[in-house]
Amino acid sequence: MKGLLYKDIVVLRKQISTLLLFVLVYGGFCVTGVFDFSIIGVLIAVFGLTIPMSSVALDDASHWDRYAAATPAGRKGIVAGKYLFTLLVILVSGLAGIAIMLLLSLTGLTDSSFQELIAVTASCAAAALLLDAVLLPFLLKYGAERARVISMVTFVAIFGGFALLGGLASHGVRLPQFPGWLTAALPVAFALTSAAAYLISFAISLGIYQRKEF
Amino acid sequence: MNNALEISHLTKDYGSFKLDDVSFTVPGGTIMGLIGENGAGKSTTIKCILNLIHRDGGTITVFGRDTLREERAVKADIGVVLDEVLFHDLLRPRQVGKILSGLYPNWDEALFTHYLEKFGLTGKKTVKEFSRGMKMKLAIAAAFAAQPRLLLLDEATSGLDPVVRDEILDEFLAFIQDEDHAILISSHITSDLEKAADYITYLHKGRVALSGAKDELLDSYGKLVCGRSALEQVDQALLGGVRTGQFGCEALVKDRRAFARRYPALTVDSVTLEDIMVLTGKGDAQ
Repeated sequence: MKGLLYKDIVVLRKQISTLLLFVLVYGGFCVTGVFDFSIIGVLIAVFGLTIPMSSVALDDASHWDRYAAATPAGRKGIVAGKYLFTLLVILVSGLAGIAIMLLLSLTGLTDSSFQELIAVTASCAAAALLLDAVLLPFLLKYGAERARVISMVTFVAIFGGFALLGGLASHGVRLPQFPGWLTAALPVAFALTSAAAYLISFAISLGIYQRKEF
Repeated sequence: MNNALEISHLTKDYGSFKLDDVSFTVPGGTIMGLIGENGAGKSTTIKCILNLIHRDGGTITVFGRDTLREERAVKADIGVVLDEVLFHDLLRPRQVGKILSGLYPNWDEALFTHYLEKFGLTGKKTVKEFSRGMKMKLAIAAAFAAQPRLLLLDEATSGLDPVVRDEILDEFLAFIQDEDHAILISSHITSDLEKAADYITYLHKGRVALSGAKDELLDSYGKLVCGRSALEQVDQALLGGVRTGQFGCEALVKDRRAFARRYPALTVDSVTLEDIMVLTGKGDAQ
């Protein structure tokens, strides 16, 4: 397992560096007012989605899984390694996002409170977890190339849905009002749903990999 | 002597191809050569041992342990070199070692370094910049460093020049000096197996055509070279396959001594593993 995590980090080092550069560039745009600070949160979701996908694409290209399945890690180890790596990517990019938000908050470059910025980052991390929960079984079953379309549709559906709701609300459309306690519990419920979906997704992927032939 | 590998009634049906009731054993301290034409089932057999594909029937044990029930423990005892090198292009040998040290419980980094130095792979080159020979050497170094008791090699020497092949065969021979070690090697290059293997299993169209000690096989089988008229007088039941040419015929004789007693006037030459393969294939075509 440790070896599989190390492998993903080493082979994706260049891509991760490039994406970090993106954060800096977009951070700069945010400071100059071109983009809203919430874009950093969206970047976290993009990282959480693209890095695992690239990892599977590189494994596909070298047929690495055939070798890995022949090692003591076996099929279960490959799946567990990929889910753990994805979780690690979301966690690290989430923490990086929080660090940037904290910096922005402390330097007074944003009007939003630190709590609001944290909420944006955590929501995006939870959304990334949900996206990966949907995407990873497809990635492991069909490979990165064929699962790309599914990832795009999922991304658009989830983020498009949020954007649509936000747009409707800002145009004065009356959305169904939830009871106060439910509204307060929504962030936690969303995070728990994402975590549960990720666990279910792991179980599905294990089943997919058990049937796979190399 | 304990058996390192026991395959019993192994079956895998792909529809268009069937690995059918394959059984053989590899005793400890020996090298078993798995030969056969393309698509005969050599790689399928190795994939079944590693559980890379799901078998339809049969049992496989490695040092007495079932490969399905004790998969993790069994794989810790197996070093693998597959027919192509599957390490990512961007990796350097040291990084490959670091990855595999996290996968194999008995990984020996010092041994890996020893083989990298021995095979001249200590530079900064990545896998992408390696020749096929270098890639194979890297895979073999990794297989040894896992400190396996059984080495599974699927066409590991194909595509290598004779000097490198010889060098690697010497490593295999050194490995099986320990009675607790064994090697199963599939190869098209039958001359390599004649040099190194103790036992041979010949797979033909998914079935075991013959299996046994190499020296006994080469001793009992023979090649009859004669004219058409002489061949027509021979009992076909004694022959394994016939190749008919413009100037004469070649036939595989299953028991050269029994044949010589029955047909003293006909000369039976010694055979190579390649002769056995080619003539059996010809016999099947006829």
